[in-house]
Amino acid sequence: MPKSSKKSTAPQGRAHVWRDEFILILSLIVFTGVIYALSDTLSPMLQGPVLVWAGVLLALVPAFIWLAFFYMQDRAEPEPKSYVFGIFILGCLLAAAVGTPLIDSIFRVSKWMYADSITTLLAGILVIGFTQEYLKYAAVRFSVYHSDEFNEATDGIVYATAAGLGYATVLNMQFVISNGGVDLGAGVIRMAVVALAHASFAGIVGYFLGRAKFESEPIWWMPLGVTIAAVMNGTFNWLRGQVVQTGVNLTGASTNPWLGLVLAAFVALITMGVLVWLMRRDAGVKHEK
Amino acid sequence: MKNNNLSLGDRFAEISVFIITAIALLIGWNLKSNVENRAYLFEANGISVQAPDGWRQIQTSGDEAFHSAELSSDGFGTTYIVRNIPIPADASAGGIASLLTLERGQKMTAFRVLDQREVNVNDKIAYELSYVFVESNPDLTHASAPKVVYGVDYIYINGNQAVVVTYWAEEGKYEIDLDRFHRFLQSVKF
Repeated sequence: MPKSSKKSTAPQGRAHVWRDEFILILSLIVFTGVIYALSDTLSPMLQGPVLVWAGVLLALVPAFIWLAFFYMQDRAEPEPKSYVFGIFILGCLLAAAVGTPLIDSIFRVSKWMYADSITTLLAGILVIGFTQEYLKYAAVRFSVYHSDEFNEATDGIVYATAAGLGYATVLNMQFVISNGGVDLGAGVIRMAVVALAHASFAGIVGYFLGRAKFESEPIWWMPLGVTIAAVMNGTFNWLRGQVVQTGVNLTGASTNPWLGLVLAAFVALITMGVLVWLMRRDAGVKHEK
Repeated sequence: MKNNNLSLGDRFAEISVFIITAIALLIGWNLKSNVENRAYLFEANGISVQAPDGWRQIQTSGDEAFHSAELSSDGFGTTYIVRNIPIPADASAGGIASLLTLERGQKMTAFRVLDQREVNVNDKIAYELSYVFVESNPDLTHASAPKVVYGVDYIYINGNQAVVVTYWAEEGKYEIDLDRFHRFLQSVKF
């Protein structure tokens, strides 16, 4: 359908976006390795509120890394920092006010979703995936999407990633608080996995949002984007559950959280690669026209 | 932020995303109901029930015919119990309720009766006894505060036996899980 005031997609103008995404993935892996090594070597005896605060600080790190790199590199055509930060906060608020209550208190997924493997996968897609991806979509669509600052297709990815990292930050904080703190080594791996995964799925939603704004896309375009992100979200969590569980012993299931981080980094890199390819292809098609 | 006017296409796109999400959540709700209502037929000691699938079957003791609790990693696991209590021929449901009240008052921490009345369940007269107590987990390593548990007994007189169907659930889960318990209650045959 035709739209008013369309502007051209220009992925080259936002080359740093891809660099930021790549640096986020790399930094998170390095950061996780450093914290894990420190925790393993020093074995800090943190307890009570100090342990909770340490966990909360760790939960903020992924978003901080991404926002810091974004801030430093976004010089060619600066995206208003207040908008990016605002979308991050909106992602946090939607996660805390809508996402978590809906998933945990109304659907109470933890009570039934692990009944069997198929149910875990379906609940992960239909309930968790759709709720989370819709909220990331809503954070962008009902705020900055119609503003003049959303003037390139890659802006969709920038803003949606901010929303995704906001969502991940709240999930990580809730995990820390509900457990009264976390083991720093295992905790930092979990936080990196959650942040990478949510940033990646948000990137997909963002790509579809960017195209929706600047191209004449059919009515099914945006539902398709949210559906793909939700399916990836649910499948990733199901796969992570399969991958990290290495066996069963007398004290319960033994797990290897590093495998989860490898999977998350792999998914993030593949998603980023596909999005770069799609954006370049879109730009090429537009240039030929 | 400056907002442009929404085109009809934009509006349809917004609505279509909302609809697809709502459909996914509706199917998800259906899946939840389906999983939660999975049950298997349990028959022993003269009673038969549709027992919730995936719950922990607890070894019965004394006059218990059935005892099952939901697996719960956080707090008190919702519990269903069916008891067959031998009674004198002239015993009334109200009298059994008094005996149960005394028994629970001695065994349970901070036990209080909230309500008691005669009700009609599935075309059978039953005596309903609602109460509250504080869970007393004997495991000293259980590192969480004791939970307030709400309970209800449905007492049926069946010849020289009283069949008592019990439901216990944590304060915040009692109302939410009540429908599921009512389905269980209707499945009890004796």
